[in-house]
Amino acid sequence: MKVDETKCVGCGRCVSYCTMGAIGFTKDLYGRVCADVNQDECVDCGVCYRAEICTGKALYEPLPVWPRSVRGTFSNPLIEHKETRVPGRGTEEMKTNDVTGRFKYGEAGMAIEMGRPSTGAFFRDIEKVAMAIASLGEIHFEPKNPITTLMVDRNSGRMNPELMNEKVLSAIIEMTVPLERVQEIIGVVKRVTKEISTVCSFDLTCKVHPGDKTPAFDLARGAGVAPTSNGKTNVGLGKPFFVEEAMR
Amino acid sequence: MSHTLHRRGTPESLKNDYVLFAMSAKGINEVDSSAKLQRFLQIVNRFGPVNLGDMRTGNRYITPSGEIIEKTRDTSIVHGVFDNRESLIKALKALKDEDLGISVIVSGLLGDVRECCQEAGVKRHTCETSLGIWGKTERLPEEEILRFTTMCGHGQVPFNLIKKMITDVKERKLTVREAAEEMAKPCQCGVFNPKRAEAMLEEVLCLWGIRVA
Repeated sequence: MKVDETKCVGCGRCVSYCTMGAIGFTKDLYGRVCADVNQDECVDCGVCYRAEICTGKALYEPLPVWPRSVRGTFSNPLIEHKETRVPGRGTEEMKTNDVTGRFKYGEAGMAIEMGRPSTGAFFRDIEKVAMAIASLGEIHFEPKNPITTLMVDRNSGRMNPELMNEKVLSAIIEMTVPLERVQEIIGVVKRVTKEISTVCSFDLTCKVHPGDKTPAFDLARGAGVAPTSNGKTNVGLGKPFFVEEAMR
Repeated sequence: MSHTLHRRGTPESLKNDYVLFAMSAKGINEVDSSAKLQRFLQIVNRFGPVNLGDMRTGNRYITPSGEIIEKTRDTSIVHGVFDNRESLIKALKALKDEDLGISVIVSGLLGDVRECCQEAGVKRHTCETSLGIWGKTERLPEEEILRFTTMCGHGQVPFNLIKKMITDVKERKLTVREAAEEMAKPCQCGVFNPKRAEAMLEEVLCLWGIRVA
């Protein structure tokens, strides 16, 4: 997002509508106070623009150019990723699991939402976490996730080097693993997140097993991480387009 | 895209906060699903949601409900928010009877939602939980601010907006309700719960000081 200094009246109404706290003030050539967007910190989410609060209609979104264009695609939910055709940062994950059968018995969905909440993440931090997880070996990052499509090597988790200085509101590193690996992943995330300059939120998905059990959640507790009491429940009203396998 | 996960708060403050939403699966049951998604919204709207939305069209506080319902597309993700379990159960029962065949998801306290599912006669298929926030947590805003901002999982509700709304209410520029509805506007999908925001505002007003000129 940018500010047209010839139109800005310096009212500051946009400041409260910046998700990254990236709007400050400067003086133009004539000494008039006007808003100034820190371009390194701005993630092009478009919230300030859509709020229609700019008195002088001075806010504008320049045409996105690679690699800066990733900021908008990850941060503005109105922009649809061409890989997933889902607006936002991730995939359908568990939301359509009753139809797709993506997560099966004996598996867990795990996702690390880099930059969430409220801080945003640079790709250098995203890469650091992805590479730490990949170093465990035999990690299959979700192919439909836009972060996976930006990896130059899916085995190592290395991202496109052109992206390292780009910042997004959040981006999701997503994978499906056998239940036996849940604690191993938690361990590596625990370790690597001590080395990053931002925060991340950690998601854990489990198909409801016979007996109304969610074994992945128990494994997280066993690793010393308590799942929150709230979460998402797919209530199974979708018509399955797969053969529901028997519990092994 | 876990846009309704990671809502922060005590179990007490997360009670009576239910997001009910639906989507079709890309490349599987997507074609011609817009009518089903539209029907979903019509059903949800019958039971008095406190918010309604489709990411593409917007939420009830920036777009009329009728327009949100009318403009559903095959790729829509459609949402309704309830502030009481009775309405959620009724909506779930109605959706079960309607048998739309598309995926329906509920966000809320997992144990409570399990009971609601049982009462509505539907069976949990898959669950997702949060393992919390990791990393440089010292960079986060105050916990009482996060309880508001995390109601929009796409991070579209700025923490500075919450602080401004608190200040505006304390300075009597806005009522609690007006402030809560202003907070709900940037959350395009309509998953922000303005009623919960009102209740949390009432609490936080006693804790936050403002500078008096």
